[in-house]
Amino acid sequence: MPSSAEATTVPLAGLSLLVRVKLRALANRVTVAITEAPVRFGATALCIGMVWIGLYFLFRAIFEYLKQSPLEAAVAIPMVFSFFFAALLVMLTISNAILAYMSLFLADEAPYLLAAPVPPRAYVALKYLETLVFSSWSLVLLGLPLMLAMADLSDEPWFYYPLFLAFFLGFVPIPGAIGLVVAWGAARFLTRRLRRRLIIGASITAALVIIVFVQSVRVDELHPNLWLNNMLFRLNFIQSAILPSSWVSHGVEHALQYRINESLGYLAVTIANALFLSMIAVLFVSSRLPVAFDRAASMRSGDARPTRPPAGGVAGLVFAYLPRNLRLIAAKDLRTFLRDPLQWTQLVILFGLMGLYLINVPRFSSTLSPLEGWGMIIPYLNFGAISFILATFTSRFVFPLVSLEGHQMWLIGMVPLTPGRLLLAKFAFAMTVSVSVAVSTTILAAVMLKMPLGWAALQAVVMFAVCAGLCGLAVGIGARMPMFEERNAARIANGLGGTINLVVSVVLVLAMLCGMGLMGIRNVRRGFEFPVDAGSLLIGGLVATLGVTVGAVALLIGARHLRHREV
Amino acid sequence: MQPAIDLQSVQKRYGEKIAVHDLTLTIPPGELFAFLGPNGAGKTTTIKMICGLLHPLRGTVDVCGHRMGVNGLAAKARIAYVPDQPFLYDKLTGREFLHFVAEMYRVDRTTRDARVADLAARLDMGDFLDKLTQSYSHGMKQKVVLAAALLHDPDVLVIDEPMVGLDPRTVRMVKDLFRQRTHAGKTVFMSTHTLEIAEAVADRIGIIHLGRLIALGNLDELRARAKTQHSLEDIFLQLTNPLVGDVGDAIER
Repeated sequence: MPSSAEATTVPLAGLSLLVRVKLRALANRVTVAITEAPVRFGATALCIGMVWIGLYFLFRAIFEYLKQSPLEAAVAIPMVFSFFFAALLVMLTISNAILAYMSLFLADEAPYLLAAPVPPRAYVALKYLETLVFSSWSLVLLGLPLMLAMADLSDEPWFYYPLFLAFFLGFVPIPGAIGLVVAWGAARFLTRRLRRRLIIGASITAALVIIVFVQSVRVDELHPNLWLNNMLFRLNFIQSAILPSSWVSHGVEHALQYRINESLGYLAVTIANALFLSMIAVLFVSSRLPVAFDRAASMRSGDARPTRPPAGGVAGLVFAYLPRNLRLIAAKDLRTFLRDPLQWTQLVILFGLMGLYLINVPRFSSTLSPLEGWGMIIPYLNFGAISFILATFTSRFVFPLVSLEGHQMWLIGMVPLTPGRLLLAKFAFAMTVSVSVAVSTTILAAVMLKMPLGWAALQAVVMFAVCAGLCGLAVGIGARMPMFEERNAARIANGLGGTINLVVSVVLVLAMLCGMGLMGIRNVRRGFEFPVDAGSLLIGGLVATLGVTVGAVALLIGARHLRHREV
Repeated sequence: MQPAIDLQSVQKRYGEKIAVHDLTLTIPPGELFAFLGPNGAGKTTTIKMICGLLHPLRGTVDVCGHRMGVNGLAAKARIAYVPDQPFLYDKLTGREFLHFVAEMYRVDRTTRDARVADLAARLDMGDFLDKLTQSYSHGMKQKVVLAAALLHDPDVLVIDEPMVGLDPRTVRMVKDLFRQRTHAGKTVFMSTHTLEIAEAVADRIGIIHLGRLIALGNLDELRARAKTQHSLEDIFLQLTNPLVGDVGDAIER
C-alpha cells in the first residue's frame, strides 16, 4: 500500500475541470450551429417555440375548462398537478436510468476518463449532472407552460413564479438519483439475457396494469358522478405523502393560495431529499463503479450470437416475397433493427401507447352516436396520430439506412445490384415494419370504433399508402442527401437531410389528412351506417395515389443520385 | 529495480470464455515491449487490465509499484493509454483537447505550452490543431491522441496499434519518439499487428495466443525457441498456427 504522502501527490482531475471542458464543447457546438447552419438552428428554435406555445394554450384550455365548474376544479386541479408530477417522476426515473447507463458504461468517453487519474466520484458526478440536463429539458418544456397557464388564470402572488421554478429544480435530482442507482445495478448484476427478460417482463406487467386500470375506470356502466368518485378514489395513491411528486404539487398549491410558509416547508422537504439522495447515489455508485464497469465491458466482450444463414431465420422468412439478393439486404436491416433496442423499443412504446388508447376508445364511442360530428372526428384523429407517429419513426430510423451503409458502400457497390434495387431492398424493409404496425393499429382502431367493413378497409388502404409515401420519402431523400462519413444514426437523422425529410414527411401527412378530412366532412351528415359511396372512394383513391406517387418519385430521385455518385 | 509493469498470474474471463489465462509478465523501466497475438488472443484485455479498466478474476497488476484496484489513481497518474480507436471530444479543437489533458494531469501552463509546441512540430499538427476534431481524419486523430498521451511525460506509455492511419514520415517520427523515451528510462508497452515495426524497435516481444503467453524474449530468443532463423513474421505464424492443436505444442516446437 502506498503511503498517505504518496497518495496525496497523485494529480487528480476534479469535477470542475470536467464540467469546464463540457461547457467549452457546448459553446463550440452552439457557435458551429449558428455560423454553419443558421437556417437549421433557427428552424429548430422556431419549432421548440411553437411546441412551447402550443402546450401553453393546451394547458390554459384545460384549466379554463375545469374552472367552469368551481366545485370540480377544486378537486381536479390539485389532481392535475399530482398526475403531472407523478408522471414526471416515473418518466424521469426511466429516462435517467437509460441515459446514466449509456453515459457511464457505453460512451467512448468512459474508458478514456477511467484510464486517466480521474476520481470515480468526479466522473460519476459529471455523468449524473449530464443525465439530469439531458433528461430534464422536457420538464422545462412541459413545466413552464403549465406554470404560466395556471398563473394566467389565477390571482397568483408574486412569489408563485420563483417558488415554482425552485420546486422544479429541487424535484429533478430525485428521479435522477434513483435512475443513477438503477443504471449501476443493471451494469453490476444483470447479464444481457437476464436484462432482456426483465425488460420484456416489466413491459408486459406495465401494459397489463394499465389495461386493468383503464378497464376498471370505464364509464360505460356507471353514472358519471359515480365514475368520477370511483376514479378519484383509485387515483388517490398518487397524492400519497411519501411521494416526492405530491410534495411538489402540494407546495405549488399552497403557493397559489398565498400560504408561503407551507409552500416553503414543502420546498425544503423536496430540496433536502434531493440533495441527500444525490449525495448518497453519487457516493454509492462511485465507490462501486470499477466493478460495475468491468462487468458491463466483460458482458459486451462475451456477447456471442448463434450464426444464421444470411437470409435465414425469421428475418429471411419475413422477406420471402423478395428476390434473393434483395432479401439478403432487407434481412440484414431487419436483424440490425431487432438487435438495437433503441430502435424497436421506441416503435413499441409509441404504438403501444396508441394501442392502449385505442383499447379505451369504446368508452367514447358508446356515448357518441356515429351521426354526431365526433363519430367522424375520432377515426380521423386516430388516423392522423398514427400517421404522425409513423413520420417520426421513418425520419429517425429509416432515413439514416442508406447513410449507414457508407463504410460498406464499397461492398454494396461491388455486388451485382443496381442502386435502384438497393433502395428497393431498404424500402421493402421499411414498408414491412411500418405496415405491420401502422395498418394493424388502424384496423384495431376501426374494430374498437365498430366501423363498418367498407370504411375500415378504406382507412387501411390509405394507411398503406401513407406507409409507402413516408418510407419512399425517407429512403429516397436518405439516398439523395446521405451522410456517408457519419456512423451515428441520430446525428444523420438530425442533419440537414434528416430535417428536410421530416418536414416533407409532415407536409405529406398533412396533405393526406386534408384529403381524409374532406372525405370526413362530406360524410358527417351521412355517417358510417351508410356504405362507402363513389365520391368517398374517389377521394380515398386520390389520397392513396398521392402517397404512393410521392414515395415512388422520392425513390427514383434517390436511385438516380446514387447511380451517379462515386463511392 | 521496481518494474514498470508487473502482472502476476493474471486471469480474466468473459462468461465461459477465458480471455487471459495465468499471465505473468514483468516489464522493467526503459523497455520497449511489443505485445503480439492474433485477433481475439487477449491483447486488448491485457492492456485494459494494465490501465485499470478491467479487473482480473485472479492475480495482480502493478504499475510503477502501485497496485491496480488498490491504489489505481496513483498508477493511472503514471500511465498514458492510447486505445486503438482514438477518442477525442468532437466539439473541441485539438489544442483545446491537449489543454484539457494537460490540466487533467496538472501540467503547469509553461510546460504545457512548450510541450504542445514541440509535439505539434514533431507530429506535423500545426495545420489542423486549431480546428474542431470532428473534421479530423483517423491519422490526425491518432496524432493528437498520441500528443495528449505524451503531454504529461508518463513513466509508462501503453499504446494499442500505434501506427494505424499514420503516414510514413509520422511512423518514422513515432518510432524515434518511442526510442527516445526508452533511452530516458520510460517504458513503452505496444500492442500491434505490424510485425515489421515490432521487429525493428522492440527490446522484447511477447506473443499471446488463446489467452496464454506462448513466447517471450528478444528476437534472438524467439528464433531459438521457434528453431528458425527467419523473420518475426515466420516465428509468429509458426507459434500461432491454428493447425497446432495445443498451445503447449507450439511452445515446444
